[in-house]
Amino acid sequence: MTITADRPAEAPARRRPRPVRRGARLRERAPLTYAALLLTAVLSIFPLWWMLVIATRTTDAVARFPPALLPGGEFGANTERLFGNASAHFTLGLWNSFVASATVAASVVLFCSLAGFALAKLKFPGRNGFTVAVVVTMAVPVQVGIIPLLVLMQWLGWRGELQAVIVPFLVSGFGVFMMRQYAAQGVPDELLEAARIDGCSTLRTFWSVVLPVLRPAMVVLGLLTFMQTWNEFIWAIAVLTPDNPTVQFSINQLNESAYARDFSLMFTGAAYATLPLLILFAIFGRRLVGRIMEGAVKA
Amino acid sequence: MTKRSPTTRPRRALRAAAAALGGGALLLATACGGGGGDGEVTLTIDTFGVMGYEALIERFEEEHGIQVEERNITDVADYTPQLQQNIASGSGAGDVVAIEEANIAQFMLQQDAFVDLAEHGAADLEGDFLDWKWDQGVAPDGRIVGLGTDIGGLGMCYDTELFGEAGLPTDREEVGELWPTWDDYAATGEEFTEADTGAAFMSTVQPLFRVVTAQAGGEPFQNTEGELVIEDTPTTREAYDTVTSMTGLSAALPIWSDEWNAAIQDNAFATMPCPAWMLGHIENTAGEAGEGRWDVAAVPGGGGNWGGSFLAVPTQSEHPEEAAELAKFLTSPEGQLGAWEEANTLPSSPEALESPEVTEFTRPYFNDAPVGAIFGATAMELEPVYYGPDTQAVDDAFRAGLESVEQGQATADEAWETAVAESERAAG
Amino acid sequence: MTAPTRAPRDARRGAGHGTGRGPDRAARLRATLDTKAAPYAFITPFFLLFGVFGLFPLLYTVWVSLHDWSLIGGNEGFVGLDNYAVLLGDAKFWNALLNTLGIFAIAVVPQLLAALLLADALNRIVRGRGLLQITLIIPYVTSIAAMAIVFSTLFGTEYGMINQVLGLFGIDPVNWRGGRLSSWTAIAVMVDWRWTGYNTLIYLAAMQAVPKDLYEAAALDGASALRRFWQITIPMMRPTILFTVIISTIGQMQLFTEPAVFDTGGAMAGGNQGQFQTVMMLVFQEAFRYGNYGYGAAVSWVLFLVIVVLGLINVLLTGRIKGAT
Repeated sequence: MTITADRPAEAPARRRPRPVRRGARLRERAPLTYAALLLTAVLSIFPLWWMLVIATRTTDAVARFPPALLPGGEFGANTERLFGNASAHFTLGLWNSFVASATVAASVVLFCSLAGFALAKLKFPGRNGFTVAVVVTMAVPVQVGIIPLLVLMQWLGWRGELQAVIVPFLVSGFGVFMMRQYAAQGVPDELLEAARIDGCSTLRTFWSVVLPVLRPAMVVLGLLTFMQTWNEFIWAIAVLTPDNPTVQFSINQLNESAYARDFSLMFTGAAYATLPLLILFAIFGRRLVGRIMEGAVKA
Repeated sequence: MTKRSPTTRPRRALRAAAAALGGGALLLATACGGGGGDGEVTLTIDTFGVMGYEALIERFEEEHGIQVEERNITDVADYTPQLQQNIASGSGAGDVVAIEEANIAQFMLQQDAFVDLAEHGAADLEGDFLDWKWDQGVAPDGRIVGLGTDIGGLGMCYDTELFGEAGLPTDREEVGELWPTWDDYAATGEEFTEADTGAAFMSTVQPLFRVVTAQAGGEPFQNTEGELVIEDTPTTREAYDTVTSMTGLSAALPIWSDEWNAAIQDNAFATMPCPAWMLGHIENTAGEAGEGRWDVAAVPGGGGNWGGSFLAVPTQSEHPEEAAELAKFLTSPEGQLGAWEEANTLPSSPEALESPEVTEFTRPYFNDAPVGAIFGATAMELEPVYYGPDTQAVDDAFRAGLESVEQGQATADEAWETAVAESERAAG
Repeated sequence: MTAPTRAPRDARRGAGHGTGRGPDRAARLRATLDTKAAPYAFITPFFLLFGVFGLFPLLYTVWVSLHDWSLIGGNEGFVGLDNYAVLLGDAKFWNALLNTLGIFAIAVVPQLLAALLLADALNRIVRGRGLLQITLIIPYVTSIAAMAIVFSTLFGTEYGMINQVLGLFGIDPVNWRGGRLSSWTAIAVMVDWRWTGYNTLIYLAAMQAVPKDLYEAAALDGASALRRFWQITIPMMRPTILFTVIISTIGQMQLFTEPAVFDTGGAMAGGNQGQFQTVMMLVFQEAFRYGNYGYGAAVSWVLFLVIVVLGLINVLLTGRIKGAT
């Protein structure tokens, strides 16, 4: 399944200017293409935009027609209510989510890169079996084992503790699979042979030779894992308690009355909860784009 | 229970993970870090919704020198599963826990999960509660599991403006006289619909089923042995038929849905069965625009109750004695009055119900309706109802069934069959 | 492919690292140990953690499914395969499976196709690509629960914005939750909204790894854009496409949050007649609301098997795409 794409042997990337002129011959700047992309962009943004609009208004704006499409002036008031809400512990929720997401992302990237590389590039007995096993592990729905997992958390004394939303997710089959595919596609065998001839141990090879090549994928995996952990909802509700929540749990608590959803408050919370992810993507997304461009250029 | 400070650094978590994997079986559960080291007791009370205990808790803390922390989960639909897990797994529940009327029988099933409050002097308190409420909190084997907090009572809320537009009386006494029975209520509904105000007479028939079966009393869904008797109890089917005959008057908006709440704001329907706790919801949802529009009249069919809660002490509590004290305090007549003042939750204590704070209380939002007196009266004279362990599930099943009838996706008979079948599944 | 182990040893000897047998043998041992053991060491953290937090719960669930197990009452006796027998005859289970597969079909197929086309479009343009990429990933970044609420509101029957807009075109309000197809469509919209951008970016990354000279050669040969797309792009992307298909299958079969939030009343019923109750919702309903943990466990285990089968089918189907040589 490996693609015999030519890749230069130097792993660390050199930055080259974008070949605009060279590309223009092949790339068609059809206005239709732009129109389609623009439409997609609008559809992608609109629900979030509307959510933010409601966050800046009061809850009754939800059912209005014509619909409220412009921001109102209630954001300050809603923010105050949000952070002052006693049962939500929103600030703590933000912090907990950050710690959990960062830990899980770091761990997943590390362990899945190791495993993915091994499954892609190292020959050892049982390799195929393990690969299949990894794919099978992905099929295990989280909710299938939710009660036994709860029992386990109970036994470890982790119910209501942050570890409960961290440790079970330190590795992911998805991550291994993704790194495996990437390593298979992108790590040239000649590079590995050269390293071995130089006398590097496998670990050394991994650190100095493979990691740099895998870096774009690692950034992507780390980013995706961070986001996924940040947005984890069902497990958080099941295992944590309201006084030690993650941010999604907090948002769920944001109702002043027991029976009606206070949309403006919840959406304000959701807005603050989404902000860190957007910032993260703004920082790392650029680098992501850059790496992808380089990959294209080198060929 | 002390709050954990947010300094769980990543490395510590990783080390914990390593320890867990290595030590595995040897890692004992860390006890929920109660601050019991210096002899200072901290109690946790688990509540849902708005129970009005803030001021009361402060008083208790002062008088007893015990710290009390309230953990609140707003939505009872989220609260109950958590409580179930905590009880089932033997740890994680507060020292005092609130339990809703529909669920208490289910929790009582777990023989050893709750402290028999009789061991802490609760038996003497029987007179402080309405008979039927007291009985609901006592397990079949006589253990006093739950002490009653609030009750729902029953009223019929109506929109005075819409009634006026439709040419119906708007004074609550007169409105109450419009419908002594449910048939009269339906007839009024026809009249209202003909007046064509643009609004529906009711939002949904779903809650009516619960109301009418409650009024009939007895064992509508399950008997005390836990067997389903839905088809055996004639009043249940009668209630169902009464209710489904009114689907033409309904706007078919599922209760508690966002659309239903929007409809309240939109003044899209004129009547709604309301227990005491529903008033707060209407006020919050309709907001300023709704002030003075809604009023409360007597409910058709006589007295009844919908909802209410209990406080119980799980046996897993490390301070059962103090927890029982807290529970007893909060459910005492003065405790219930305190909650009434703070959150307008209707007391279940006759003494409190008859006190001037309740009987003379008028609620400005609802046209200064004497809600205390109205609801109190319905609570005093009603037929006791037994709600079995699977009440919640049966309730859900019939809610879905009624929704399918009023939205035109099934006939009344089909929906009945489906709901009964679903209830049988749930009762397992 | 790892190089044979002889070379390093010879190389080291040649480099003059110690002439005695001792250090050499130690070095040789280390090298052999490294080559043999390193792969296993690398995959161990994954399988170990999975063993504890993934496999154990799964096996425990199987164990529970063989009993009459109430969430509150606990283990109430071994019943063997009874739960599974009931399951096979359970109309609610088949209904949930139908819903899950139906939503899967409506959601995933258009989504992946759209992602391919969008990725291709992005690949072709140069200006504004970065910005467009960001707008595509934004749905994925948002909170699932919050956005599910947003969409639930948008799809409201009386007051939802979508019906109001349809009303402008003279279309009657659609009872989105009331019908099977309508509820599936609404849920598919939610899912596609979130995941299309994500898949687009993955495809884009793969497309950009395709060497440009292949395209140039084909263009010189006179191949149209469409032909270049089908003959070059898709085959070269096959591993990535396979990846997204598998991930989508697994994710979709476990669909839970969106339909659960879409439902009114929180009873996990999936509509008043189970129009959109997915298998996972059924598991929740049985295990948590009805307390029939044994049965819920059986359903979730069967779901797992279905996912595996479906995943394999998908692998076979995707394998039909002509791969790159």
